[in-house]
Amino acid sequence: MDLSLTESQQMLKDTIRRLMERECTATRLKEIEASDTGFPADIWESLAKIGLVGLSIPEEFGGGGGSYEDLGVLYYELGRACAPTPHFSSGVLCAQILVEAGSPAQKAELLPRIASGDLILALALTEQDFGWEADQVALTATKQGDSYVLQGTKVFVPDAQVAHKLIVAARTPGGVSLFLVDAGSPGLSVRNVTGFIGGRLNEITLDSVKVPASAVVGVVGGAAPVLDLVLARSAPVLAAYMVGGSEMAFEITRDYAGTRVAFGAPIGTFQRVQDHIIEIVNAMDAARWTTNEALWKIDNNKPDWRIGASLAKAMASEAFTTATHHSHEVLAGLGSVKDHPIHHYTTMSRTLYWYLGEPKLHRQKLADLLEL
Amino acid sequence: MDFEMHYTEEQEKFRAEVSAWLDVNMPPEAVRPVDEGRKPPGLSDAAMSLRRRLGAKGWLCPLWPKEYGGGDLPVEQAVIIGEELDGRHAFLPYDLGVILIAPAIMVWGTDDQKRRFLPPILSGEILTWQVFTEPEAGTDLASLKLRADKEGDHYVLNGQKTFIGSDYRADWLYTLAVTDQNRPRHSNIGAFIVPANSPGVTISPMELIAGQNKNNIYYDNVRVSRDQLIGGEFDGWKVANSTLELEHGGASRMVEGHFVDLLLAYCRRATRNGQPLSKDPAVRDALVEIWMGAQVERLFNWRNYWMRTSKIPWSWEGCQTALFRKQSEPRVAHRVLDILGPYALTTDPKLQALRGEIENQQRMSIMSHPGGTPEAQKIVMARRIGIAKTRQKASAIV
Ligand SMILES: Cc1cc2nc3c(=O)[nH]c(=O)nc-3n(C[C@H](O)[C@H](O)[C@H](O)COP(=O)(O)OP(=O)(O)OC[C@H]3O[C@@H](n4cnc5c(N)ncnc54)[C@H](O)[C@@H]3O)c2cc1C
Repeated sequence: MDLSLTESQQMLKDTIRRLMERECTATRLKEIEASDTGFPADIWESLAKIGLVGLSIPEEFGGGGGSYEDLGVLYYELGRACAPTPHFSSGVLCAQILVEAGSPAQKAELLPRIASGDLILALALTEQDFGWEADQVALTATKQGDSYVLQGTKVFVPDAQVAHKLIVAARTPGGVSLFLVDAGSPGLSVRNVTGFIGGRLNEITLDSVKVPASAVVGVVGGAAPVLDLVLARSAPVLAAYMVGGSEMAFEITRDYAGTRVAFGAPIGTFQRVQDHIIEIVNAMDAARWTTNEALWKIDNNKPDWRIGASLAKAMASEAFTTATHHSHEVLAGLGSVKDHPIHHYTTMSRTLYWYLGEPKLHRQKLADLLEL
Repeated sequence: MDFEMHYTEEQEKFRAEVSAWLDVNMPPEAVRPVDEGRKPPGLSDAAMSLRRRLGAKGWLCPLWPKEYGGGDLPVEQAVIIGEELDGRHAFLPYDLGVILIAPAIMVWGTDDQKRRFLPPILSGEILTWQVFTEPEAGTDLASLKLRADKEGDHYVLNGQKTFIGSDYRADWLYTLAVTDQNRPRHSNIGAFIVPANSPGVTISPMELIAGQNKNNIYYDNVRVSRDQLIGGEFDGWKVANSTLELEHGGASRMVEGHFVDLLLAYCRRATRNGQPLSKDPAVRDALVEIWMGAQVERLFNWRNYWMRTSKIPWSWEGCQTALFRKQSEPRVAHRVLDILGPYALTTDPKLQALRGEIENQQRMSIMSHPGGTPEAQKIVMARRIGIAKTRQKASAIV
């Protein structure tokens, strides 16, 4: 047993930490938040330049061939910085769907460009009957000659505004299928969803959007197992981001408790305040170790890796929300000021809480997996 | 990262050796009882015998140097011994010498003391109790009052301790006492190894709701020789903290608890109104919640074990693990009460669940205090996090 990072993972971690501290500052986060699309082109370019956009894409397609644990290292650091990039949509979910189900031509054409950061993809899955199962997809794809015509609406899709292409899940005879759709296709429109949201969520309307039969990813009607596999394996990667975010919420809160004085003493000396910070630390560490174990289980093909993945996502969702909640209790008024970075973490924690399944869903999955 | 122990062929051979040895040397009665407070006849002697035999073999403290009564074995072999004992539900008598006291002696004792005290403790010849708490000094341990007055090359001890030991008689009492009435708190305490048969020591049993039965201990002009003092005359607080560091989760093990697995299996099996309990949606959710907590506790223990055996310095990990366990046990009991109702509360042979394990968990869950209350764990955590008035690093442990 050895729970340490390898030397190269530690180097990777240090590199990303430095990059994020330089480029993803509090000021920059605020600018990104206020921008039109919320896309930090500069940070994206920096990540791409050192090969991190394609970290988990196989080397034969221009990626880094990294493991899930490597991805975990990257995502801890992105989460610490609360970096709002389309990396998860493009470099993890869509890249892995293509790796699993794409045709040789699709892989050869798309994966290298995803890895280089030139091409951004987003996964359009969720609809009004919100959920992560293929059978919750209602949007239709109707065959017309050599083409398919897509009709319907996707909601709460991250990164659709900045994506060049979408992988759209649509109902076809015999099941759900995946389609590659250009973002600029006639009939396709993307709208930003406003609210207490981290990053960007979009609504996508597809009104008679026509795609060629070659746009199908994988087998027609065969999307369910692909989605199921890729979503389950990616959940701990997202969990790593949430652990990183919890860690930063912890550090911000701890440092403030050490300097803010009330009644003649730093507030961190009050047991009531300490309780908040201890809650953060415990939630963070619980999520950290369940996430680490889940990533390790995936890399090592452990038969119970799905148990690990659902455990990690449930714990991390709880942890990030818990961490930011208690952070606000300690920061009090200061935490509600827009200039203070904590609100980026707070909104992100709430958004990622349900992304790829909220704890309730993963607990149901765990009950099934534990044969209860 | 690697979350698994890997065993070489050589080590698997060692496992076979341990297993064969246990076949011969483990008395069949030496198995863990449901409730330590109600031991079946024959268990105590059997457990003592198993302890002595393991000790003689160097397997009671496999990681310790041979010269001190250990086995000089690598971590993997120590884990193998633990796994094999655990697989047989082996039960060893209550003793804090091995896990808590010997490490403090190793850090603070003189060479002569290490030679005198460690081998008997680590080879299982003698039992040692931790004698800290007093009627007026629990969480605020440093306010303890038991006097140790110097008389020539002896100290004379007077006072009372409480909540000590078990119903296995101790040979040695690892006792904290005030060595100077005038010195300030924290620098007025000495740590003594007091032979339990010293004249003036009276041990009188208490009756507790669960677990081992504890004792009151009265010291009436008990004479202790100076060379029984571990560390300096006023170092007792530091010595005690090496012990408390381990007690607060530092002495973690790789071996896992089985309660949750048993509970899940029981709920798959037991039926209510014609269907398995585990099919009730509320029961499922409660079971998953309990199971998730157990995974976190397991991983905290693994992390601590890994940190300790790799000599990685730590901060809040030990007390965090103790706190997590102390907070989760009552929660688990609460949920189990939801799931099983009155069946959770009975030891009636006809009605009990899991041979009384469930009922025992209900009782044990109210006892989160040994080794420091949850609040005490939080106080230490806050210091380690660096926000409390007192900034404190982890105490020296081996
Ligand atoms: C089963 C059992 C086994 C034990 N075994 C041993 C043993 O082997 N050896 C031994 O020496 N002792 C032993 N003890 C004693 C144990 O260590 C004490 O019970 C424990 O330290 C708490 O002390 P107390 O019971 O006096 O509670 P108190 O210290 O009186 O605490 C009462 C309450 O006040 C809270 N409190 C106290 N101070 C603070 C503070 N500063 N901030 C916030 N809250 C505070 C506590 O958390 C608790 O909630 C054992 C106890 C039990 C029940």
